[in-house]
Amino acid sequence: MPVHDLGYRKWVGKRNHQLIRPLYVARSGITLIWRRRMLKLLLMLAWLPIAIPAIGIFCFEQGVTDMTYRRVIIRTLQGPMERPDLAAQMLQDPVSVRHEVWSTLILGFFRVPQLYSMVLLIGLIAPLLISYDLRSKAYLQYFSRPLSPNEYIVGKSAVIWFFLGMITTLPGLTLYLLGVLLSPEISVVGMTWDIPLRILIASVALIVPTTALAIGYSACTVENRYASFAWFATWIMGSVAYQVLTNAPRMGRGRRPRMDVDTERWLLVSPYHTLGKVETWIFGLDTGDSSVWPAVLILLAVIVIGTLFVRSRLIGKLSV
Amino acid sequence: MKRYTYLSPTCPESPLSPIISLTGVTKLYSGFRALDDVSLEIQPGITGLLGPNGSGKSTLIKSLLGLVRNHQGTGTVLGLQWPREVREIRDRVGYLPEDDCYIAGLTGIEAVAFMANLSGLPKTEGMRRAHEITDFCDIGEEKYRGVEAYSTGMRQKLKFAQALVHDPPFLILDEPTTGLDPDQRDAMLRRIRTLAQEHGKSILLSTHILPDVKAVCDQVVILARGKVRVHDSMENLSKPAEPTLNVMTYGEKAAFLNGLEKAGYTVTTKTDGTLKIIGTDIEQVSNVWDIAAATGTSIRRLAPAQNSLEEIFFQAVSASEHP
Repeated sequence: MPVHDLGYRKWVGKRNHQLIRPLYVARSGITLIWRRRMLKLLLMLAWLPIAIPAIGIFCFEQGVTDMTYRRVIIRTLQGPMERPDLAAQMLQDPVSVRHEVWSTLILGFFRVPQLYSMVLLIGLIAPLLISYDLRSKAYLQYFSRPLSPNEYIVGKSAVIWFFLGMITTLPGLTLYLLGVLLSPEISVVGMTWDIPLRILIASVALIVPTTALAIGYSACTVENRYASFAWFATWIMGSVAYQVLTNAPRMGRGRRPRMDVDTERWLLVSPYHTLGKVETWIFGLDTGDSSVWPAVLILLAVIVIGTLFVRSRLIGKLSV
Repeated sequence: MKRYTYLSPTCPESPLSPIISLTGVTKLYSGFRALDDVSLEIQPGITGLLGPNGSGKSTLIKSLLGLVRNHQGTGTVLGLQWPREVREIRDRVGYLPEDDCYIAGLTGIEAVAFMANLSGLPKTEGMRRAHEITDFCDIGEEKYRGVEAYSTGMRQKLKFAQALVHDPPFLILDEPTTGLDPDQRDAMLRRIRTLAQEHGKSILLSTHILPDVKAVCDQVVILARGKVRVHDSMENLSKPAEPTLNVMTYGEKAAFLNGLEKAGYTVTTKTDGTLKIIGTDIEQVSNVWDIAAATGTSIRRLAPAQNSLEEIFFQAVSASEHP
């Protein structure tokens, strides 16, 4: 019993605009997920790989004037980064390849540690979003309010966007800032000003389709473990299929000559490689504009189909 | 106690405009007519929505809220065009769903505040209001516990608080007393009456529990097989077709029965021994007393007969099954 039992009282006040109501859906989802200790740990770990490209940028900038650092970065470009062309240019005129080296290092950050973190993070959180609501029939609560299925989908997607932004966009921009701060002179900004924009666009290309795919799986079932399984299976099976299709013909048996394989042809079977293709293009490291369109179209199709599927599932549930 | 009259938000000058006015509402599920040309006009107050399972009650409620799309039909709800302005309607309606639904992971108070926010209450105000309403609904300290751990009764109270938190002028309550123990059920019905009588709220109460309807409702709508079978005020429905008196007597009643029939009354005997004297009302009761005195019969109880809601309900349902 409250100390002062006020009974029922009328409420008079100004209501928020309808457009900001999906934000409450997002905020509630973020609050709920933030309570998980595992997730906080994962978010912290996802920031650690930032050190590697940051050291790379530092070495490159020092290498402009210092031959010791230049040799280190040249060895890295020739070896793990598989860019001997850049290494050759670096030897002659390091300043002319500054933009490309920065982009390559930041893309590497996006392509490997962040993409893996993203797969793991979404696999842990996305299935909880819609499948939980379907299981506990919470959709009845949401849709008895002035909230449309589209706004609900935006609100739920925003939960994933927020966390993915925390492990991709934010570290990407921090990495760029670190690069500028670690450079001997501020004039590097003039040569690399477009990289933050590319980071933002690459983040959108990464976040939006993966979110649509994840919430699509989440809406498939009331059992979130099945949604998680489908999510991880998509990434693992896609990558395995791509590796098999591109590497098998190369491995000539006995005396059969090794075949040249068109790796682009099988790119679309793997979400990892499809995303990689688009991100490489966004960072300006893949100039074959026409070859990127199938990958872009696939990502757009995933967004549209994922969103429509979730919408139809919700509307279907309400009609029962 | 002051009794409020509901004011339509769009027509303040017409205080008696109906809360719901529907014409020709039809909803098909794969060829099955869940709602079949439903036309209704519900006045302010508490309205009981009755019907057997599968009669279309939940479909009608979901249709009103725009949760299911209808194949035909137009109307107004709270003076707003239905189904065109369904979002605005949802803003002004509080809905307590029949289903056991909750947002997993939230505490009770967070769940109520969240619903307040979704209805447009600012963050702080939503939380303040959530505390006020959970107190009104007697949720007490349980509001700080996760909703998954709530009992069925607590969940009912929580859903009621969620329906009420944005202070809607119209409440749709789908089975609000299901799962409540007798004390809590009484408390819930008291709250419903308080909201209607002291705060001018209109309420559509969908239930299977006829005593609940009898206890609080001003009007009744009975749906069966997707059609409206009965729609009238409780007062009119309880009146029998002809004025009738129920009489209970002590001891032997053959002489009394004989005397009544000689006087030209039609009399039937109910299973509990009560005599039903058809064609007379309380105004002409002196005649009945005279016959009792003449035949030496002691009258234990005499009262005007009323139709029971159970009878009305079963008649409506059986009429729908054997049209």
